[in-house]
Amino acid sequence: MSKTIYELVDDLPERNLTIFALNSLDFVIPGQWQNLTGFENTIREITGETDEAIIQQIGDRAVWLYNDKSQGYQQALWLYQTIDRAGSALGSAALANKVGEKIPLLGFLNRLTPKADRAQTLDLSLKLVVEIVAYCRINGIPGDSIGDFVAALVDNYTGPSLMRMSALVCFDGLIPLGTNFLSQVETTLNNLSPKALEDNESYQRIHDSIPGNSTTGKLEFINRSFESVQGWMGDLVRDRDLTAEKVADRLSSFIDFSEGKLDYLAAFLDVSTNYYEHTGIQTLARSLIERAVAEI
Amino acid sequence: MPHLQKILASFALAFLLLVTACSPSPPSRFEQAQQESTQPKVTAVSPEAKAGGEFNRFFPQSKDVVFSQEKRGFAQAKLKQDGKEMATLSIVDLNDNSAAIAKYEDSLETVAGYPVVEVGSTGTGLLIDNRFQVKVLSRDPDFSSSDRRLWLEKFDLAGLGNMAVATGEENE
Repeated sequence: MSKTIYELVDDLPERNLTIFALNSLDFVIPGQWQNLTGFENTIREITGETDEAIIQQIGDRAVWLYNDKSQGYQQALWLYQTIDRAGSALGSAALANKVGEKIPLLGFLNRLTPKADRAQTLDLSLKLVVEIVAYCRINGIPGDSIGDFVAALVDNYTGPSLMRMSALVCFDGLIPLGTNFLSQVETTLNNLSPKALEDNESYQRIHDSIPGNSTTGKLEFINRSFESVQGWMGDLVRDRDLTAEKVADRLSSFIDFSEGKLDYLAAFLDVSTNYYEHTGIQTLARSLIERAVAEI
Repeated sequence: MPHLQKILASFALAFLLLVTACSPSPPSRFEQAQQESTQPKVTAVSPEAKAGGEFNRFFPQSKDVVFSQEKRGFAQAKLKQDGKEMATLSIVDLNDNSAAIAKYEDSLETVAGYPVVEVGSTGTGLLIDNRFQVKVLSRDPDFSSSDRRLWLEKFDLAGLGNMAVATGEENE
């Protein structure tokens, strides 16, 4: 049986490689993400509520909303989980005893395969699509105009959503592809054939959830998704003066790797972390609780 | 003998692990809602509830108001001042949510003629025609109960009242 919403939030880990990796990005968005775990704890933090009877009502309403499949929350969770499971070959089991000590990347080299640039750019684009589709499943399409929608989307980039987008830029953009990753994504998407898209493993998993009647239509949606947040990502890189080396430097506090192996570092993060799922559950819980407290 | 002690100790440990692993964790306080909401054919939101987008025009007109959620029977916006989230504003269709409506029965106060209640320590709700709930929730300690009432008045409450009347007539 699948987990209840309170189990999902209660079971969020407090200490593992994903959390270490995300905490290393605190320099990108200082103080803006705390690893908020536990369902009741999340209700208290988000609403500031202390009245136990009200907390009960909020939690109950959130459970009801989550379990109503027509409300889209379960689909959003599935998307966050599915896009993250593209290659978790190493998984947490192999690394469970590594938490607390510095992980030597050298020991994993024979089990890691860096992605070709095109596959990496496509993965990044598909994660962005998941971000936008999951956003719409969770929050609907707020406001009355495209402007309202984009304002709501970007305004949503706080807390766990902001951390997820920053991790996307750093771990799926800068480290594997370098500082000009945005132009690489643009070039790949502009030259991508529908057939090449269909061959991509992540696409095969989530294509039913991407708007569009055909592969060509879905490819257009992917392009538009990228265009809508490209500016935001570029600003983040520019404003923070981000480089692959700066991000890697922060990761070196718990991963031991040699310079020039950034593609292996990216592959390692890809298979050993699940930051989309982790922060996705936090994002989902936040919206759900904000709605529940309004509806009681 | 020390050998035997070791064996006994490891058995005792194994037994202890078995017992603790098998004892069920205490049920969650949300277990009942989980059971009730996963029965066949139950829904959280009535199909008859208004589309959330129909509520947008009744929100306070201000550049500080940023829409954040729009689902069936529900629309929400954030009130931001100097980049800081001060409050959330929402309109909800309480169609068939009798528990939420019942809390207004003992209301002694009104804003613009509509019953008002304090909900918990951070929220103020207002009920229109037993159908729509307008709520302002503080998200910053500086945003007081009187601030919440002030912002309740900035909604187009009369417009929502007209929609409630029209909705009631449709359903008759």
